[in-house]
Amino acid sequence: MSSSPPVLKTSGLSKRYGKRLALAGLDLEVPSGRVFGFLGPNGAGKTTAISLILGLISPTSGRVELFGEDARRQLAASLKRVGAILEGVAFYPHLSARDNLRICAAISGGVAAARIEETLRLVGLSGRARDKVRGYSMGMRQRLALAAALLHDPELLVLDEPTNGLDPAGMREFRDLIRELGRSGKTVFVSSHLLGEVEQMCDEVAIVKEGRVIASGAVADLVRQGDALDLRVTDVAAAMEALAALPWPAVLVDGDRLSIEAPRDSAAEISRALAERQVYLYELRPRETSLEEIFLELTSEEVVS
Amino acid sequence: MTVLGAEILKTTKRWMPYVLFLFAVAGTAVIILLFGYTAWFNERDEAEAGFGIESFFTFAWPWSLQALLDNGQFYGSALFVAILTSSSVATEYNWGTARGALIRGQSRGKYLATKLAGTALICTMFLLAVFAVGVLFSVIATAIAHKSLTLDVPGGPSVPEIGLMILRAAWGIVPYGLLAFMLAVVGRSTALGVAGAIGYMFVEGIAIAILRELSGIWNDIPDILIGTQVSSLIAANRFGGVEYISFAPRERPEATDLPDPWMAALVIAAWCALLLAVAFFVFLRRDLQSRDV
Repeated sequence: MSSSPPVLKTSGLSKRYGKRLALAGLDLEVPSGRVFGFLGPNGAGKTTAISLILGLISPTSGRVELFGEDARRQLAASLKRVGAILEGVAFYPHLSARDNLRICAAISGGVAAARIEETLRLVGLSGRARDKVRGYSMGMRQRLALAAALLHDPELLVLDEPTNGLDPAGMREFRDLIRELGRSGKTVFVSSHLLGEVEQMCDEVAIVKEGRVIASGAVADLVRQGDALDLRVTDVAAAMEALAALPWPAVLVDGDRLSIEAPRDSAAEISRALAERQVYLYELRPRETSLEEIFLELTSEEVVS
Repeated sequence: MTVLGAEILKTTKRWMPYVLFLFAVAGTAVIILLFGYTAWFNERDEAEAGFGIESFFTFAWPWSLQALLDNGQFYGSALFVAILTSSSVATEYNWGTARGALIRGQSRGKYLATKLAGTALICTMFLLAVFAVGVLFSVIATAIAHKSLTLDVPGGPSVPEIGLMILRAAWGIVPYGLLAFMLAVVGRSTALGVAGAIGYMFVEGIAIAILRELSGIWNDIPDILIGTQVSSLIAANRFGGVEYISFAPRERPEATDLPDPWMAALVIAAWCALLLAVAFFVFLRRDLQSRDV
Protein backbone atom coordinates (compact mmCIF):
# COMPACT_ATOMS: atom_id res chain seq x y z
CA MET A 1 0.00 0.00 0.00
CA SER A 2 1.15 3.52 -0.73
CA SER A 3 2.64 5.48 2.17
CA SER A 4 1.25 8.80 0.90
CA PRO A 5 -1.82 10.21 2.69
CA PRO A 6 -5.20 9.00 1.44
CA VAL A 7 -6.66 10.85 -1.52
CA LEU A 8 -10.12 10.35 -0.11
CA LYS A 9 -10.98 9.83 3.52
CA THR A 10 -14.32 9.78 5.28
CA SER A 11 -14.64 9.78 9.05
CA GLY A 12 -17.88 8.88 10.79
CA LEU A 13 -19.82 10.07 7.76
CA SER A 14 -23.55 9.85 8.40
CA LYS A 15 -26.66 11.00 6.63
CA ARG A 16 -30.13 10.84 8.07
CA TYR A 17 -33.37 11.55 6.20
CA GLY A 18 -36.00 11.94 8.89
CA LYS A 19 -36.07 8.64 10.72
CA ARG A 20 -34.14 6.77 8.04
CA LEU A 21 -30.40 6.49 8.47
CA ALA A 22 -29.03 6.31 4.94
CA LEU A 23 -25.40 6.24 5.99
CA ALA A 24 -24.17 5.32 9.45
CA GLY A 25 -20.68 6.47 10.32
CA LEU A 26 -18.85 5.57 7.13
CA ASP A 27 -15.09 5.31 7.61
CA LEU A 28 -13.11 4.94 4.43
CA GLU A 29 -9.58 5.57 3.30
CA VAL A 30 -8.77 5.46 -0.38
CA PRO A 31 -5.02 5.43 -0.91
CA SER A 32 -3.39 7.31 -3.74
CA GLY A 33 -2.94 5.47 -7.01
CA ARG A 34 -5.28 2.60 -6.18
CA VAL A 35 -8.47 1.37 -7.82
CA PHE A 36 -10.90 1.15 -4.93
CA GLY A 37 -14.19 -0.71 -5.22
CA PHE A 38 -17.22 0.35 -3.22
CA LEU A 39 -19.66 -2.52 -3.01
CA GLY A 40 -23.03 -2.97 -1.47
CA PRO A 41 -26.54 -4.17 -2.20
CA ASN A 42 -29.17 -1.73 -3.41
CA GLY A 43 -30.04 0.77 -0.70
CA ALA A 44 -26.78 0.19 1.16
CA GLY A 45 -25.88 3.88 0.98
CA LYS A 46 -23.36 3.88 -1.88
CA THR A 47 -24.93 6.73 -3.85
CA THR A 48 -25.54 8.69 -0.65
CA ALA A 49 -21.87 8.30 0.24
CA ILE A 50 -20.78 9.47 -3.21
CA SER A 51 -23.16 12.44 -3.08
CA LEU A 52 -21.65 13.38 0.29
CA ILE A 53 -18.10 13.01 -1.01
CA LEU A 54 -18.90 15.28 -3.95
CA GLY A 55 -20.62 17.87 -1.76
CA LEU A 56 -24.04 17.47 -3.35
CA ILE A 57 -25.63 16.75 0.01
CA SER A 58 -24.64 17.80 3.51
CA PRO A 59 -23.71 15.21 6.10
CA THR A 60 -25.70 14.84 9.30
CA SER A 61 -22.34 14.19 10.98
CA GLY A 62 -18.80 13.26 10.09
CA ARG A 63 -16.41 14.65 7.54
CA VAL A 64 -14.92 14.11 4.14
CA GLU A 65 -11.32 14.82 3.27
CA LEU A 66 -10.20 15.16 -0.31
CA PHE A 67 -6.46 15.34 -0.94
CA GLY A 68 -5.89 15.81 2.78
CA GLU A 69 -8.16 18.86 3.06
CA ASP A 70 -11.57 19.19 4.67
CA ALA A 71 -13.82 18.88 1.63
CA ARG A 72 -16.49 21.24 3.00
CA ARG A 73 -13.99 24.06 3.36
CA GLN A 74 -12.17 23.55 0.07
CA LEU A 75 -14.96 21.92 -1.93
CA ALA A 76 -14.71 23.83 -5.20
CA ALA A 77 -10.91 23.67 -5.28
CA SER A 78 -10.86 19.97 -4.37
CA LEU A 79 -13.48 19.06 -6.94
CA LYS A 80 -11.39 20.66 -9.69
CA ARG A 81 -9.07 17.68 -9.11
CA VAL A 82 -11.88 15.13 -9.22
CA GLY A 83 -13.69 13.57 -12.17
CA ALA A 84 -16.99 11.89 -11.48
CA ILE A 85 -19.73 9.85 -13.06
CA LEU A 86 -22.97 10.01 -11.13
CA GLU A 87 -25.82 7.55 -11.16
CA GLY A 88 -28.24 8.73 -13.86
CA VAL A 89 -25.87 10.38 -16.29
CA ALA A 90 -27.03 13.88 -17.21
CA PHE A 91 -26.27 15.98 -20.26
CA TYR A 92 -27.96 18.73 -22.23
CA PRO A 93 -30.07 16.68 -24.63
CA HIS A 94 -30.40 19.45 -27.23
CA LEU A 95 -26.64 19.83 -27.57
CA SER A 96 -24.07 17.65 -29.30
CA ALA A 97 -21.53 15.58 -27.38
CA ARG A 98 -18.86 18.08 -28.36
CA ASP A 99 -20.89 21.05 -27.10
CA ASN A 100 -21.64 19.22 -23.87
CA LEU A 101 -17.92 18.65 -23.36
CA ARG A 102 -17.21 22.30 -24.23
CA ILE A 103 -19.54 23.27 -21.41
CA CYS A 104 -17.84 20.82 -19.06
CA ALA A 105 -14.48 22.25 -20.11
CA ALA A 106 -15.65 25.81 -19.43
CA ILE A 107 -16.76 24.84 -15.93
CA SER A 108 -13.58 22.93 -15.20
CA GLY A 109 -11.43 25.72 -16.62
CA GLY A 110 -8.12 25.41 -18.40
CA VAL A 111 -9.07 22.56 -20.72
CA ALA A 112 -7.67 22.88 -24.23
CA ALA A 113 -9.97 22.31 -27.20
CA ALA A 114 -7.68 19.51 -28.39
CA ARG A 115 -8.33 17.68 -25.12
CA ILE A 116 -12.05 17.54 -25.97
CA GLU A 117 -11.28 15.74 -29.21
CA GLU A 118 -8.80 13.50 -27.43
CA THR A 119 -11.36 12.35 -24.84
CA LEU A 120 -14.00 11.86 -27.53
CA ARG A 121 -11.56 9.58 -29.34
CA LEU A 122 -10.68 7.80 -26.10
CA VAL A 123 -14.30 6.81 -25.46
CA GLY A 124 -15.03 6.05 -29.11
CA LEU A 125 -17.45 8.90 -29.78
CA SER A 126 -15.48 10.92 -32.33
CA GLY A 127 -17.76 9.78 -35.15
CA ARG A 128 -20.91 10.84 -33.32
CA ALA A 129 -19.55 13.99 -31.67
CA ARG A 130 -21.83 16.30 -33.69
CA ASP A 131 -25.00 14.34 -32.94
CA LYS A 132 -27.41 15.63 -30.34
CA VAL A 133 -27.21 13.71 -27.07
CA ARG A 134 -30.98 13.13 -27.06
CA GLY A 135 -30.37 10.57 -29.81
CA TYR A 136 -27.71 8.68 -27.87
CA SER A 137 -28.19 5.22 -26.42
CA MET A 138 -27.63 4.67 -22.71
CA GLY A 139 -24.25 3.15 -23.44
CA MET A 140 -23.19 6.16 -25.52
CA ARG A 141 -24.26 8.51 -22.76
CA GLN A 142 -22.20 6.50 -20.32
CA ARG A 143 -19.19 6.81 -22.62
CA LEU A 144 -19.78 10.54 -22.84
CA ALA A 145 -19.96 10.68 -19.05
CA LEU A 146 -16.59 8.99 -18.88
CA ALA A 147 -15.21 11.50 -21.38
CA ALA A 148 -16.55 14.34 -19.25
CA ALA A 149 -15.03 12.81 -16.13
CA LEU A 150 -11.61 12.45 -17.76
CA LEU A 151 -11.70 15.77 -19.61
CA HIS A 152 -9.69 17.80 -17.10
CA ASP A 153 -7.27 14.95 -16.35
CA PRO A 154 -8.35 14.55 -12.72
CA GLU A 155 -6.24 12.94 -10.02
CA LEU A 156 -9.23 11.14 -8.50
CA LEU A 157 -12.10 9.51 -10.37
CA VAL A 158 -15.33 8.87 -8.48
CA LEU A 159 -17.56 6.57 -10.48
CA ASP A 160 -21.06 5.55 -9.41
CA GLU A 161 -22.19 2.41 -11.24
CA PRO A 162 -20.22 3.46 -14.33
CA THR A 163 -20.90 0.36 -16.41
CA ASN A 164 -24.68 0.73 -16.27
CA GLY A 165 -26.05 0.59 -19.78
CA LEU A 166 -22.86 -0.67 -21.40
CA ASP A 167 -22.92 -3.80 -23.52
CA PRO A 168 -20.47 -6.61 -22.70
CA ALA A 169 -17.86 -5.27 -25.11
CA GLY A 170 -18.26 -1.78 -23.68
CA MET A 171 -17.93 -3.13 -20.16
CA ARG A 172 -14.74 -4.88 -21.08
CA GLU A 173 -13.32 -1.73 -22.69
CA PHE A 174 -14.33 0.25 -19.64
CA ARG A 175 -12.69 -2.27 -17.31
CA ASP A 176 -9.49 -2.14 -19.34
CA LEU A 177 -9.56 1.64 -19.27
CA ILE A 178 -9.98 1.72 -15.50
CA ARG A 179 -7.10 -0.69 -15.09
CA GLU A 180 -5.02 1.49 -17.37
CA LEU A 181 -5.91 4.59 -15.36
CA GLY A 182 -4.93 2.77 -12.18
CA ARG A 183 -1.61 1.80 -13.71
CA SER A 184 -1.01 5.40 -14.77
CA GLY A 185 -1.19 6.46 -11.12
CA LYS A 186 -4.73 7.82 -10.94
CA THR A 187 -6.88 6.99 -7.98
CA VAL A 188 -10.23 5.48 -8.88
CA PHE A 189 -13.15 5.09 -6.48
CA VAL A 190 -15.79 2.99 -8.16
CA SER A 191 -19.12 1.78 -6.87
CA SER A 192 -20.64 -1.18 -8.60
CA HIS A 193 -22.87 -4.13 -8.09
CA LEU A 194 -21.00 -6.13 -10.73
CA LEU A 195 -18.73 -8.07 -8.44
CA GLY A 196 -16.83 -9.91 -11.12
CA GLU A 197 -15.96 -6.57 -12.68
CA VAL A 198 -14.84 -5.14 -9.37
CA GLU A 199 -12.75 -8.19 -8.58
CA GLN A 200 -10.94 -7.80 -11.87
CA MET A 201 -10.62 -4.02 -11.76
CA CYS A 202 -9.95 -3.13 -8.14
CA ASP A 203 -6.99 -3.37 -5.83
CA GLU A 204 -9.06 -2.75 -2.72
CA VAL A 205 -12.72 -2.84 -1.80
CA ALA A 206 -15.07 -1.77 0.93
CA ILE A 207 -18.37 -3.58 1.32
CA VAL A 208 -21.25 -1.59 2.78
CA LYS A 209 -24.54 -2.78 4.13
CA GLU A 210 -27.25 -0.61 5.66
CA GLY A 211 -24.98 2.40 5.63
CA ARG A 212 -22.05 0.72 7.38
CA VAL A 213 -18.77 -0.74 6.13
CA ILE A 214 -18.90 -4.43 7.00
CA ALA A 215 -15.66 -5.44 5.34
CA SER A 216 -12.77 -3.73 3.67
CA GLY A 217 -9.27 -4.36 2.51
CA ALA A 218 -7.25 -5.59 -0.43
CA VAL A 219 -9.27 -7.76 -2.78
CA ALA A 220 -6.67 -10.54 -2.49
CA ASP A 221 -6.92 -10.48 1.33
CA LEU A 222 -10.69 -10.53 1.34
CA VAL A 223 -10.81 -13.42 -1.07
CA ARG A 224 -8.23 -15.23 1.05
CA GLN A 225 -10.45 -14.67 4.12
CA GLY A 226 -12.86 -17.10 2.58
CA ASP A 227 -10.20 -19.66 1.72
CA ALA A 228 -10.85 -23.30 2.32
CA LEU A 229 -8.93 -26.51 1.68
CA ASP A 230 -10.48 -29.52 -0.02
CA LEU A 231 -9.20 -32.94 0.99
CA ARG A 232 -9.59 -36.56 -0.03
CA VAL A 233 -8.43 -38.97 2.66
CA THR A 234 -7.93 -42.69 3.31
CA ASP A 235 -10.14 -42.80 6.46
CA VAL A 236 -12.88 -40.21 6.76
CA ALA A 237 -13.95 -41.02 10.34
CA ALA A 238 -10.39 -40.86 11.68
CA ALA A 239 -9.79 -37.72 9.68
CA MET A 240 -12.82 -35.98 11.20
CA GLU A 241 -11.54 -36.90 14.69
CA ALA A 242 -8.08 -35.57 13.88
CA LEU A 243 -9.41 -32.35 12.37
CA ALA A 244 -11.74 -31.71 15.33
CA ALA A 245 -8.63 -30.93 17.38
CA LEU A 246 -7.65 -28.15 15.00
CA PRO A 247 -9.01 -24.58 15.22
CA TRP A 248 -10.77 -24.66 11.82
CA PRO A 249 -14.19 -26.17 11.18
CA ALA A 250 -14.24 -29.19 8.90
CA VAL A 251 -17.19 -30.74 7.13
CA LEU A 252 -17.76 -33.97 5.27
CA VAL A 253 -18.69 -33.23 1.69
CA ASP A 254 -19.34 -36.73 0.34
CA GLY A 255 -17.57 -40.10 0.18
CA ASP A 256 -13.91 -39.52 1.00
CA ARG A 257 -14.11 -35.76 0.47
CA LEU A 258 -13.75 -33.23 3.25
CA SER A 259 -13.59 -29.49 3.34
CA ILE A 260 -11.95 -27.39 6.01
CA GLU A 261 -12.22 -23.60 6.25
CA ALA A 262 -8.56 -22.92 6.79
CA PRO A 263 -5.98 -20.69 5.15
CA ARG A 264 -3.57 -22.11 2.60
CA ASP A 265 -0.58 -21.96 4.88
CA SER A 266 -2.30 -24.35 7.33
CA ALA A 267 -1.92 -27.25 4.87
CA ALA A 268 1.24 -28.55 6.53
CA GLU A 269 -0.34 -28.54 9.97
CA ILE A 270 -3.42 -30.34 8.68
CA SER A 271 -1.42 -33.04 6.89
CA ARG A 272 0.71 -33.57 10.02
CA ALA A 273 -2.39 -33.90 12.23
CA LEU A 274 -3.86 -36.46 9.83
CA ALA A 275 -0.60 -38.40 9.56
CA GLU A 276 -0.39 -38.67 13.34
CA ARG A 277 -3.71 -40.60 13.17
CA GLN A 278 -2.47 -42.69 10.24
CA VAL A 279 -4.79 -40.92 7.87
CA TYR A 280 -3.20 -40.17 4.52
CA LEU A 281 -4.06 -37.78 1.79
CA TYR A 282 -5.11 -38.64 -1.73
CA GLU A 283 -5.50 -34.98 -2.46
CA LEU A 284 -5.14 -31.59 -0.74
CA ARG A 285 -5.85 -28.43 -2.69
CA PRO A 286 -6.85 -24.87 -1.90
CA ARG A 287 -10.31 -23.71 -2.83
CA GLU A 288 -10.47 -19.97 -3.60
CA THR A 289 -13.62 -18.08 -2.83
CA SER A 290 -14.74 -15.44 -5.27
CA LEU A 291 -15.47 -11.89 -4.21
CA GLU A 292 -19.07 -12.55 -5.14
CA GLU A 293 -19.29 -15.39 -2.62
CA ILE A 294 -17.67 -13.22 0.06
CA PHE A 295 -20.03 -10.38 -0.79
CA LEU A 296 -23.13 -12.55 -0.67
CA GLU A 297 -22.02 -14.12 2.58
CA LEU A 298 -21.27 -10.76 4.21
CA THR A 299 -24.35 -8.96 3.01
CA SER A 300 -26.71 -11.73 4.01
CA GLU A 301 -25.31 -12.09 7.52
CA GLU A 302 -24.14 -9.83 10.31
CA VAL A 303 -20.41 -10.12 9.82
CA VAL A 304 -17.95 -7.47 10.81
CA SER A 305 -14.40 -7.38 9.63
CA MET B 1 -15.24 29.36 -23.64
CA THR B 2 -16.15 31.07 -20.37
CA VAL B 3 -18.82 29.81 -17.99
CA LEU B 4 -21.03 32.68 -19.10
CA GLY B 5 -20.42 31.68 -22.72
CA ALA B 6 -21.39 28.12 -21.77
CA GLU B 7 -24.57 29.40 -20.17
CA ILE B 8 -25.47 31.35 -23.31
CA LEU B 9 -24.68 28.35 -25.52
CA LYS B 10 -27.05 26.15 -23.48
CA THR B 11 -29.95 28.56 -23.85
CA THR B 12 -29.47 29.88 -27.35
CA LYS B 13 -29.38 26.35 -28.76
CA ARG B 14 -32.85 25.68 -27.40
CA TRP B 15 -35.93 26.44 -29.48
CA MET B 16 -37.72 28.18 -26.62
CA PRO B 17 -36.21 31.69 -26.84
CA TYR B 18 -36.92 31.83 -30.57
CA VAL B 19 -40.53 30.74 -30.15
CA LEU B 20 -40.98 33.31 -27.38
CA PHE B 21 -39.33 35.90 -29.60
CA LEU B 22 -41.81 35.17 -32.39
CA PHE B 23 -44.72 35.45 -29.95
CA ALA B 24 -43.35 38.76 -28.69
CA VAL B 25 -42.94 40.08 -32.24
CA ALA B 26 -46.48 38.96 -33.04
CA GLY B 27 -47.72 40.77 -29.93
CA THR B 28 -45.88 43.89 -31.00
CA ALA B 29 -47.44 43.68 -34.45
CA VAL B 30 -50.89 43.32 -32.90
CA ILE B 31 -50.42 46.45 -30.77
CA ILE B 32 -48.68 48.70 -33.30
CA LEU B 33 -50.16 47.54 -36.56
CA LEU B 34 -53.57 46.13 -35.63
CA PHE B 35 -54.77 48.15 -32.64
CA GLY B 36 -52.66 51.12 -33.69
CA TYR B 37 -52.38 51.73 -37.40
CA THR B 38 -55.28 49.58 -38.73
CA ALA B 39 -57.73 50.88 -36.12
CA TRP B 40 -56.66 54.46 -36.82
CA PHE B 41 -56.86 53.92 -40.61
CA ASN B 42 -60.43 52.56 -40.36
CA GLU B 43 -61.55 55.46 -38.16
CA ARG B 44 -59.20 58.15 -39.38
CA ASP B 45 -61.95 60.65 -40.11
CA GLU B 46 -63.19 60.38 -36.54
CA ALA B 47 -59.62 60.30 -35.30
CA GLU B 48 -58.82 63.57 -37.03
CA ALA B 49 -61.81 64.96 -35.18
CA GLY B 50 -60.41 63.73 -31.90
CA PHE B 51 -62.07 60.31 -31.69
CA GLY B 52 -60.04 57.09 -31.68
CA ILE B 53 -56.97 59.23 -31.13
CA GLU B 54 -55.49 56.53 -28.80
CA SER B 55 -54.93 54.32 -31.85
CA PHE B 56 -52.87 57.05 -33.50
CA PHE B 57 -50.65 57.61 -30.47
CA THR B 58 -50.20 53.85 -30.17
CA PHE B 59 -48.54 53.40 -33.58
CA ALA B 60 -47.24 56.86 -34.51
CA TRP B 61 -43.61 57.71 -33.88
CA PRO B 62 -42.45 58.85 -31.31
CA TRP B 63 -45.56 58.40 -29.13
CA SER B 64 -45.47 54.66 -29.91
CA LEU B 65 -42.49 54.40 -27.56
CA GLN B 66 -44.85 54.73 -24.62
CA ALA B 67 -47.12 51.94 -25.81
CA LEU B 68 -44.20 49.71 -26.73
CA LEU B 69 -42.52 50.10 -23.35
CA ASP B 70 -45.73 49.90 -21.31
CA ASN B 71 -46.96 46.72 -23.01
CA GLY B 72 -43.40 45.43 -23.34
CA GLN B 73 -42.74 45.80 -19.63
CA PHE B 74 -45.79 43.74 -18.71
CA TYR B 75 -45.87 41.11 -21.42
CA GLY B 76 -42.10 41.01 -21.75
CA SER B 77 -41.96 40.14 -18.05
CA ALA B 78 -44.86 37.75 -18.07
CA LEU B 79 -44.50 35.93 -21.33
CA PHE B 80 -40.82 36.12 -22.09
CA VAL B 81 -38.68 36.61 -19.00
CA ALA B 82 -40.77 34.51 -16.61
CA ILE B 83 -41.00 31.56 -18.99
CA LEU B 84 -37.39 31.63 -20.17
CA THR B 85 -35.96 32.17 -16.69
CA SER B 86 -38.07 29.48 -15.04
CA SER B 87 -37.32 27.02 -17.79
CA SER B 88 -33.58 27.59 -17.87
CA VAL B 89 -33.37 27.14 -14.09
CA ALA B 90 -35.74 24.22 -13.62
CA THR B 91 -34.59 22.14 -16.59
CA GLU B 92 -31.13 21.98 -15.02
CA TYR B 93 -32.75 20.20 -12.10
CA ASN B 94 -34.84 17.97 -14.32
CA TRP B 95 -31.96 17.02 -16.58
CA GLY B 96 -29.62 16.56 -13.62
CA THR B 97 -27.13 18.92 -15.18
CA ALA B 98 -27.04 21.14 -12.09
CA ARG B 99 -25.34 18.30 -10.24
CA GLY B 100 -23.05 17.77 -13.21
CA ALA B 101 -21.83 21.36 -12.97
CA LEU B 102 -21.35 21.31 -9.21
CA ILE B 103 -19.25 18.14 -9.19
CA ARG B 104 -16.84 19.84 -11.57
CA GLY B 105 -15.89 22.33 -8.89
CA GLN B 106 -18.19 25.21 -9.77
CA SER B 107 -19.30 26.72 -6.48
CA ARG B 108 -23.03 26.87 -5.92
CA GLY B 109 -22.99 30.65 -5.66
CA LYS B 110 -21.09 31.00 -8.91
CA TYR B 111 -23.32 28.45 -10.61
CA LEU B 112 -26.49 30.34 -9.71
CA ALA B 113 -24.99 33.76 -10.41
CA THR B 114 -23.80 32.59 -13.83
CA LYS B 115 -27.20 31.15 -14.63
CA LEU B 116 -28.81 34.43 -13.63
CA ALA B 117 -26.35 36.53 -15.61
CA GLY B 118 -26.66 34.31 -18.69
CA THR B 119 -30.45 34.35 -18.60
CA ALA B 120 -30.51 38.11 -18.03
CA LEU B 121 -28.17 38.67 -20.97
CA ILE B 122 -30.27 36.50 -23.29
CA CYS B 123 -33.54 38.13 -22.16
CA THR B 124 -31.99 41.56 -22.70
CA MET B 125 -30.81 40.70 -26.21
CA PHE B 126 -34.13 39.21 -27.27
CA LEU B 127 -36.28 41.94 -25.70
CA LEU B 128 -34.16 44.67 -27.28
CA ALA B 129 -34.62 42.88 -30.60
CA VAL B 130 -38.39 42.80 -30.05
CA PHE B 131 -38.31 46.50 -29.15
CA ALA B 132 -36.33 47.26 -32.31
CA VAL B 133 -38.89 45.36 -34.38
CA GLY B 134 -41.65 47.35 -32.64
CA VAL B 135 -39.89 50.63 -33.46
CA LEU B 136 -39.52 49.45 -37.05
CA PHE B 137 -43.26 48.67 -37.25
CA SER B 138 -43.99 52.11 -35.83
CA VAL B 139 -41.67 53.89 -38.25
CA ILE B 140 -43.15 52.03 -41.22
CA ALA B 141 -46.74 52.68 -40.10
CA THR B 142 -46.00 56.34 -39.43
CA ALA B 143 -44.48 56.72 -42.90
CA ILE B 144 -47.43 54.94 -44.52
CA ALA B 145 -49.76 57.31 -42.65
CA HIS B 146 -47.79 60.22 -44.19
CA LYS B 147 -46.82 61.60 -40.78
CA SER B 148 -43.41 63.03 -40.10
CA LEU B 149 -40.76 60.90 -38.42
CA THR B 150 -39.40 63.20 -35.78
CA LEU B 151 -38.73 63.43 -32.09
CA ASP B 152 -39.65 67.08 -32.25
CA VAL B 153 -43.19 66.84 -30.92
CA PRO B 154 -44.64 68.59 -27.83
CA GLY B 155 -43.02 67.00 -24.78
CA GLY B 156 -41.16 64.57 -27.05
CA PRO B 157 -38.09 62.79 -25.68
CA SER B 158 -34.50 63.33 -26.72
CA VAL B 159 -32.37 60.31 -27.66
CA PRO B 160 -30.83 60.08 -24.16
CA GLU B 161 -34.33 60.29 -22.70
CA ILE B 162 -35.37 57.36 -24.88
CA GLY B 163 -32.49 55.44 -23.34
CA LEU B 164 -33.76 56.36 -19.88
CA MET B 165 -37.29 55.26 -20.85
CA ILE B 166 -35.93 51.88 -21.94
CA LEU B 167 -34.02 51.53 -18.68
CA ARG B 168 -37.16 52.36 -16.66
CA ALA B 169 -39.19 49.71 -18.45
CA ALA B 170 -36.34 47.20 -18.14
CA TRP B 171 -36.06 47.85 -14.41
CA GLY B 172 -39.77 47.12 -14.19
CA ILE B 173 -39.15 43.70 -15.73
CA VAL B 174 -36.35 42.69 -13.37
CA PRO B 175 -38.37 41.98 -10.17
CA TYR B 176 -40.83 39.74 -12.02
CA GLY B 177 -37.96 37.90 -13.69
CA LEU B 178 -36.36 37.42 -10.28
CA LEU B 179 -39.68 36.27 -8.84
CA ALA B 180 -39.81 33.57 -11.52
CA PHE B 181 -36.15 32.77 -10.88
CA MET B 182 -36.68 32.44 -7.14
CA LEU B 183 -39.79 30.28 -7.52
CA ALA B 184 -38.08 28.01 -10.06
CA VAL B 185 -35.05 27.59 -7.78
CA VAL B 186 -37.11 26.92 -4.67
CA GLY B 187 -39.73 24.75 -6.38
CA ARG B 188 -37.34 23.13 -8.94
CA SER B 189 -40.19 23.55 -11.39
CA THR B 190 -40.72 25.51 -14.57
CA ALA B 191 -44.47 25.42 -14.01
CA LEU B 192 -44.17 26.96 -10.56
CA GLY B 193 -41.87 29.72 -11.79
CA VAL B 194 -44.06 30.60 -14.74
CA ALA B 195 -47.42 30.25 -13.02
CA GLY B 196 -46.18 31.97 -9.87
CA ALA B 197 -44.73 35.00 -11.64
CA ILE B 198 -47.50 35.44 -14.20
CA GLY B 199 -50.18 34.73 -11.61
CA TYR B 200 -48.65 37.26 -9.26
CA MET B 201 -48.51 39.93 -11.98
CA PHE B 202 -52.16 39.55 -12.91
CA VAL B 203 -53.42 39.17 -9.35
CA GLU B 204 -51.28 42.07 -8.15
CA GLY B 205 -52.78 44.46 -10.71
CA ILE B 206 -56.28 43.55 -9.61
CA ALA B 207 -55.36 43.57 -5.92
CA ILE B 208 -53.83 47.04 -6.15
CA ALA B 209 -56.99 48.39 -7.77
CA ILE B 210 -59.15 46.84 -5.02
CA LEU B 211 -56.90 47.89 -2.14
CA ARG B 212 -56.84 51.48 -3.38
CA GLU B 213 -60.59 51.56 -2.87
CA LEU B 214 -60.34 50.42 0.74
CA SER B 215 -59.49 52.55 3.73
CA GLY B 216 -56.98 52.32 6.58
CA ILE B 217 -53.94 50.10 6.38
CA TRP B 218 -55.32 48.28 3.33
CA ASN B 219 -54.99 51.45 1.35
CA ASP B 220 -51.28 51.66 2.20
CA ILE B 221 -50.35 48.13 1.17
CA PRO B 222 -50.09 48.91 -2.58
CA ASP B 223 -47.38 51.45 -1.76
CA ILE B 224 -44.92 48.65 -1.08
CA LEU B 225 -45.98 46.25 -3.81
CA ILE B 226 -43.86 45.79 -6.91
CA GLY B 227 -46.69 46.76 -9.25
CA THR B 228 -47.03 50.25 -7.78
CA GLN B 229 -43.34 50.94 -8.25
CA VAL B 230 -43.44 49.63 -11.81
CA SER B 231 -46.45 51.83 -12.54
CA SER B 232 -44.45 54.80 -11.30
CA LEU B 233 -41.64 54.01 -13.74
CA ILE B 234 -44.07 53.50 -16.61
CA ALA B 235 -45.85 56.75 -15.72
CA ALA B 236 -42.48 58.54 -15.85
CA ASN B 237 -42.14 57.33 -19.43
CA ARG B 238 -45.26 59.18 -20.56
CA PHE B 239 -44.92 62.39 -22.54
CA GLY B 240 -47.04 64.78 -24.49
CA GLY B 241 -50.11 64.18 -22.33
CA VAL B 242 -51.50 61.66 -24.80
CA GLU B 243 -53.35 58.39 -24.29
CA TYR B 244 -52.27 55.13 -25.90
CA ILE B 245 -53.50 51.55 -25.90
CA SER B 246 -52.10 49.27 -23.21
CA PHE B 247 -53.17 45.69 -22.57
CA ALA B 248 -51.35 45.48 -19.27
CA PRO B 249 -54.01 44.60 -16.67
CA ARG B 250 -53.36 47.55 -14.40
CA GLU B 251 -54.68 51.02 -13.95
CA ARG B 252 -53.30 53.52 -16.43
CA PRO B 253 -50.20 54.85 -14.66
CA GLU B 254 -50.62 58.51 -13.70
CA ALA B 255 -47.54 60.06 -12.14
CA THR B 256 -49.56 62.18 -9.72
CA ASP B 257 -50.89 59.14 -7.83
CA LEU B 258 -47.63 57.25 -7.65
CA PRO B 259 -44.34 57.35 -5.76
CA ASP B 260 -41.37 59.27 -7.10
CA PRO B 261 -39.69 57.15 -9.85
CA TRP B 262 -36.33 57.18 -8.08
CA MET B 263 -37.94 56.00 -4.86
CA ALA B 264 -39.85 53.38 -6.86
CA ALA B 265 -36.59 52.20 -8.40
CA LEU B 266 -35.10 51.83 -4.91
CA VAL B 267 -38.10 49.85 -3.65
CA ILE B 268 -37.77 47.58 -6.68
CA ALA B 269 -34.09 47.13 -5.84
CA ALA B 270 -35.09 46.08 -2.32
CA TRP B 271 -37.55 43.53 -3.74
CA CYS B 272 -34.85 42.23 -6.09
CA ALA B 273 -32.42 41.85 -3.19
CA LEU B 274 -35.03 39.95 -1.19
CA LEU B 275 -35.90 37.60 -4.05
CA LEU B 276 -32.21 36.96 -4.79
CA ALA B 277 -31.49 36.33 -1.13
CA VAL B 278 -34.22 33.70 -0.90
CA ALA B 279 -33.06 31.96 -4.08
CA PHE B 280 -29.40 31.88 -3.04
CA PHE B 281 -30.19 30.95 0.58
CA VAL B 282 -32.17 27.92 -0.53
CA PHE B 283 -29.80 26.82 -3.28
CA LEU B 284 -26.62 27.12 -1.23
CA ARG B 285 -28.04 24.85 1.47
CA ARG B 286 -30.06 22.40 -0.53
CA ASP B 287 -29.27 18.70 -0.86
CA LEU B 288 -29.07 17.79 -4.54
CA GLN B 289 -29.90 14.12 -4.61
CA SER B 290 -30.06 11.68 -7.46
CA ARG B 291 -33.84 11.91 -7.57
CA ASP B 292 -33.36 15.48 -8.82
CA VAL B 293 -31.95 13.96 -11.99
